[in-house]
Amino acid sequence: MAQLRFRFMAKGAGVGTGLPINMAFVDKQDLAAEGIAEADALTAIAREVNAPVGINVFDMDAITTTSDGIVVDGAIVTMAAADIGRIHPEFGCLHMAKIEVTDQLIKEEPHLAQIRGQFDGRPLFRGPNPKDKLIPVHNVVMTGRAVNNNSATEVMDAISMEEMLLPILGQLQVMHDEDVVFGITGEVISVGIGMTVAEQFGRVFPTRQFAAGQTAHGSGEYAKTLKANIPCMVAPKRVLARYIIRALEAGMAPGLHIGCSPAVLALAHAIGSPIAKDRIEPKARVELASIGVDVDSLVTEGPKLSAEEAISDADQIVPGVVNPILCASRDVVSKESIAV
Amino acid sequence: MIHLGSITDGRRPDMVRLLHTSLPEFKSKIHQAGQKNGKTILLRGLENLRSAKMQSLRTGRIENTVDELAQKSETDLVEVVVMARVPETMHTVVIKSYDKDGKPLEAVLEVINILHPTEEAELEGFRVTDNRPPLGRH
Repeated sequence: MAQLRFRFMAKGAGVGTGLPINMAFVDKQDLAAEGIAEADALTAIAREVNAPVGINVFDMDAITTTSDGIVVDGAIVTMAAADIGRIHPEFGCLHMAKIEVTDQLIKEEPHLAQIRGQFDGRPLFRGPNPKDKLIPVHNVVMTGRAVNNNSATEVMDAISMEEMLLPILGQLQVMHDEDVVFGITGEVISVGIGMTVAEQFGRVFPTRQFAAGQTAHGSGEYAKTLKANIPCMVAPKRVLARYIIRALEAGMAPGLHIGCSPAVLALAHAIGSPIAKDRIEPKARVELASIGVDVDSLVTEGPKLSAEEAISDADQIVPGVVNPILCASRDVVSKESIAV
Repeated sequence: MIHLGSITDGRRPDMVRLLHTSLPEFKSKIHQAGQKNGKTILLRGLENLRSAKMQSLRTGRIENTVDELAQKSETDLVEVVVMARVPETMHTVVIKSYDKDGKPLEAVLEVINILHPTEEAELEGFRVTDNRPPLGRH
């Protein structure tokens, strides 16, 4: 008999309508240590919870990217959704594609030039291979009421229609037993999540649809409203700032290599890192202007903060979540163990 | 002139109409299958359809299942729920403008994907028999 360990966050956690379904977070290493097959773990958790639940399996030795193209430490490798004790056999589970980072791929996806130093040689996972999906749906898994979408970074209840955004950095905080921030997504992040990079097997788009400097939203003044009222769980801004600054220091220019999200632009502006303003398309500028970001006014000359100063002052520099509440993971995440 | 034989695959033209059942006829058949047993029938999931041709082969099987469940003495109510089998459907959105006389002006085509719950949302607590063929077979 092996012990299946996982982290568990109950429906309702967070602010506003809160987490719409339960969430289980599984570390692939915990499965390996107990000799538990991933499929058996998913089945056991579905049965144990016996209610709508999203199940995300992490490889903490792998790397992934945020929607704006920042490389981060740890990746989701499998996502599942379960309800009434089962996982839908056709639409309930997907595995992310393991991506080999080659010189050719870096030419095609220039933000991957960040993969050096501590990230060099580690497996990269983002979204699934579309060939693994029965029908050309979003990168989504569904069973009953439980919906786990965008490669396991937003969850919904299909009946109550409540939703919560779970950006990857917030989930990684849970896996590290570190602090998380709950809040309402707000207009800034609503605009920011549209400032993507072009990726094959990406978290949201399976092919290279929207490059750095472009907006995936393309909805003008309406972009800021799209996710504005939805609750979310994110990482503290100092964590986000550390990753973004690492990318900037690796030579990544917003608009050229990485997405021109408000958080990226704010930090590049703060430390004086180059911004490819001429590569930021008019449609993206309209959306940024709608939340008060005037691309032309961002200057890279003059006195600037050091990286450490910017990280330390991230709460003042980086715009984001509305009505944020800092919370220790242990206050909202329990550590479960079941015999399988 | 179209030679009917070429589009009926050898079947008589009057058999062609039997391959699909009209929406009103489908609704009527389902209700009759339950009511002949004196049981209440609830049909939901088709409210948004104005005109549709329903697969006849499955219409017959659904009628038969409704009849079987309705015949059982323990049954008081039979509920028939029609839902998308694929839980995300892609829809074309036609956005049209008209002038004050109702004359067509512009039409813009957009697309929207809709997520639906899968069948588990309807199954909690029931003894389940799954007669569906695999995806891709009908």
